[in-house]
Amino acid sequence: MKKNKLKFWIGGGIFCAAALLASIWYAVTFNDSRLVVPVDLGSYTFTPKDLPMILSVLLTCGYVLALFIPRCFGIRKRKETVERTNTTRKLNPKLGLLGLLGFLGFLGFWSYPARGDVTPFAFFLFFGLFGFFYEGKMSGTFMDERFRENAARAQLTAYKITFSIILAALIILSQGKLFGSLEYTLIATMIVLSIALALGIFLPAYLLYRYDHDDPMDEDEE
Amino acid sequence: MAEFECRLKKYRQLKGLTQEQLAVQVGVRRETIMRLEKAQYNPSLKLAVDISRAVEAPIEEIFIFP
Repeated sequence: MKKNKLKFWIGGGIFCAAALLASIWYAVTFNDSRLVVPVDLGSYTFTPKDLPMILSVLLTCGYVLALFIPRCFGIRKRKETVERTNTTRKLNPKLGLLGLLGFLGFLGFWSYPARGDVTPFAFFLFFGLFGFFYEGKMSGTFMDERFRENAARAQLTAYKITFSIILAALIILSQGKLFGSLEYTLIATMIVLSIALALGIFLPAYLLYRYDHDDPMDEDEE
Repeated sequence: MAEFECRLKKYRQLKGLTQEQLAVQVGVRRETIMRLEKAQYNPSLKLAVDISRAVEAPIEEIFIFP
């Protein structure tokens, strides 16, 4: 994205957020928090004081749509380019940092005792995004038959490893109650499944990179 | 992978082609040509035929299987 365009979108986002905050403040201060607290839409009647809130919400929705719809078309266009040029998709290796989101999974160890909520454990799945680092390193690579063969080999190896881990874990966990509790057994299952699936996302990219780069070749060019 | 001997380098040099030129001609990456020359990659029949045509040598003389 060009710098001017980026400034425009950041500025637009700040404006929308400011408009939303201002209208919330207005609604709380002068309109009995209407449309801020949950409203029964069946008995809702419009008053002019609702206008700031409605307009700011519409503006924010418009901003979000304008921001994401072209991105969706961009993804389709990039896919077409990949098919046409027979090269891997262009990706910044820094996107691999998204894998750090996987650490949010550790929140589950806090949320489960505190609220009984196990969903944060699913965040371990994001560890798989570390694969973007290797995919990014191979972006724009021409996909010849050796590359495709290596990609298929990497995918197959990744599936074998992932399913082996899942099977082994399920056999162990199904033996009995872990720490004498069925709840902990199920939580452990969820953690293992999330991490195994993350591995299934990460490994194909990593193994493909290894297969393509590991054998040091003579770089002699005659 | 099947063990085989590859004489591609000899025929390529006879034809006066670089690895890059041959790679472009047969539609693969230079790394693939390098691995082929070291007999570290077993090519598809199509690629073997394309290479044979590019270097103008019989396929059985380029790739020798015991």
